[in-house]
Amino acid sequence: MILIVGGSYQGKTEYARQNFPNAKYFNNLHTFIKKRLEDLKSQDEILAEIKDVISEGQWIIISDEIGNGVVPYDAFDRQWREVTGRILISLAREATEVHKVVCGIGQRIK
Amino acid sequence: MITIIYGGTSSGKSAYAEGLVCNSKYNYRYYLATMSSQDEESKARIKRHRKLRSGKRFITLEHPVDVKNAIGDIERIESGDFSTEDPYHKSNIVLLECMSNLLANEMFKGGVTQELDFCVNKILSDIQELEAKVSELVIVTNNIFDDGIAYEAETKDYIRALGAINSQLALRANKVVEVTVGIPIVIKG
Repeated sequence: MILIVGGSYQGKTEYARQNFPNAKYFNNLHTFIKKRLEDLKSQDEILAEIKDVISEGQWIIISDEIGNGVVPYDAFDRQWREVTGRILISLAREATEVHKVVCGIGQRIK
Repeated sequence: MITIIYGGTSSGKSAYAEGLVCNSKYNYRYYLATMSSQDEESKARIKRHRKLRSGKRFITLEHPVDVKNAIGDIERIESGDFSTEDPYHKSNIVLLECMSNLLANEMFKGGVTQELDFCVNKILSDIQELEAKVSELVIVTNNIFDDGIAYEAETKDYIRALGAINSQLALRANKVVEVTVGIPIVIKG
């Protein structure tokens, strides 16, 4: 699995398509995590579901980094950013490659 | 000597910073905690961090404001150590976690908002005094700058102050590392 992270509207999807045209995509992972948290799923359950989805074939996971802002007022938003961060750390540990995209330019950081 | 560890919420920056300190060869390891609020969420966060540190020989010092007061604690702790006669052989490393809490505590002390420049200069001067007394100072600080939201004046001042502190410290630091999804990226040194 290859993980691609970066801020919103940085060209992550385009970067992925150019560099890994034949892979399967799990895009907007941060939104997926939000939906699962709204269904009261735990961090471990969400991570297990993600791993299940990507268990076969070459997968590219794409996610916004949402932890780089002021602490949100809303408790759910705080939980969302924290769980997303922790899940991304777990996925990054298992990924064969991690890329960070800024201004459309990707940098391989693992 | 200053090392800066920079990253967003839940980016793995604390675990990385603690690893850095634990791989260093100093006689004393201090954890300078700046978090003060006592709500349930903060307590859970403090508990998680304590668990990360357990068994790693950290001496915890707590200073939500006035971090230079940690110098007195360190001197008291080390003055009782007679294992070496030469005080200069007592090397130490301090992990300050984290700058964003320290700034919030200084800026909104006693329910009154302090002026931006005053806070920035006060914190930088405290850090300078602390740095002069220890072998190495590792500072964990936050990236709170990338959400693009226009906040009201007070929060904007806070963001601007943290940006100024981060930049000034980075200028003085030997090493600056950004941590993203648990992966360190060296941006200076």
